[in-house]
Amino acid sequence: MAPKRVEAGRGRKSGVVKARKQSSTTTRAFYLIIAAIAIVGVAALTYLSTRPKNVATVSQIDTTLPKVESHGYVLGSANAPLEVTEFGDFECPACGTFSVLTEPEIRKRFVDAGQVRWRFIDDPLPMHQNTWQASRAAACADEQGKFWPYHDMLYQTQDQWNTEATSNPDKFMKHYAQQLGLNTQQFDQCVDTKKYQAKIQAHAALAEQRKVMQTPTFLVGTQQVAGAQPYDVIAKTITDELAKAGAKPAVGGDTAKGATVQKPGS
Amino acid sequence: MTRRMWMAVISLAGLFIGIYLTLYHYGIIGTLACGVGSCERVQTSRYSMFLGVPVATWGAGYYVLMLAITMARIQPTLEDSAGLTLATAVLATWGLIFTAWLNYLEGFVIHAWCEWCLGSAGLVVLLFLLALLEWRDYRKGGVADLTGGENIAD
Repeated sequence: MAPKRVEAGRGRKSGVVKARKQSSTTTRAFYLIIAAIAIVGVAALTYLSTRPKNVATVSQIDTTLPKVESHGYVLGSANAPLEVTEFGDFECPACGTFSVLTEPEIRKRFVDAGQVRWRFIDDPLPMHQNTWQASRAAACADEQGKFWPYHDMLYQTQDQWNTEATSNPDKFMKHYAQQLGLNTQQFDQCVDTKKYQAKIQAHAALAEQRKVMQTPTFLVGTQQVAGAQPYDVIAKTITDELAKAGAKPAVGGDTAKGATVQKPGS
Repeated sequence: MTRRMWMAVISLAGLFIGIYLTLYHYGIIGTLACGVGSCERVQTSRYSMFLGVPVATWGAGYYVLMLAITMARIQPTLEDSAGLTLATAVLATWGLIFTAWLNYLEGFVIHAWCEWCLGSAGLVVLLFLLALLEWRDYRKGGVADLTGGENIAD
């Protein structure tokens, strides 16, 4: 009986040792997997955060998509050699950043110089609850020849009338119209009756058909630029496209003679 | 590998998704790699913030906590800690509820899907299921079950 007990004891001991070895192997494998995931993750994030930002943002325009020429609001000379179309959402923060920080310089250097004609087309995104009111109000301002000042006003005051700030954006829309010296009776009636709802719907449908994936998105000649890119990216794309069109890019901000520029403040 | 080890691996993978989307939110990464869905629409929507902090950062915080707790529970001295088991269950449940709400917003309010968010949601569901099994075993009692069935004393 005694040898049997010894055998049983040995078996248990060897089983424990075997299990410990197995556990140690499992633990080692686990830490190796954790280390591998950490290394791959850190390397991927480092690559993504240090690569040039404009690599994937500028792409060739698909020429088979519907044309934009009959839509939107235009700023600049009809004779400008290049047209830039912006698909924008008045409530989109990135569009606001672009409009306030980058667009003034673009206008000064290219639009006022008669080299670029700027077209704005509404792309009201579904998650912005007040953007339709803003787009309709801007269309009402356009009725009185004040689209661009109103456009600028909407972006400058975005945090006052966006979804987070108010559930009654029309009150702000009417106030801005008054500030800009519009005929308020005409404007208020236009806003209240949603006069340009169909127009904004057409703009939104065009953005959908053109597969605009984010706002703002710019069509610059043959290139499509996605996102609120800094001045350098937009300016370089414009300059490249002007060169393709055979136009000499402007170096200053002087308005070209004979250009019929509609000034934002007009 | 034990159940807890799988939880740590999943948490680490989720953490990188959270960091990736947070870096995008702050403009450090130019565009999102998004082959199927509409990641930009979701990530730039007003619902991408919660209590003034990007939802992606909340997600990264969730995964950091889950990873820290799980790594602690893998250590022999803490493997049968009732407090940590309870913390895992509470965190996993909170993560599941929060993820369900975010997916509801994507589907019914924003009307756009972000594949990274869906991937993260899958990881959160897996973590919840594993945490549920851990909790069930804890209620039954027994350290062996809590480590995922690999009891070296057997």
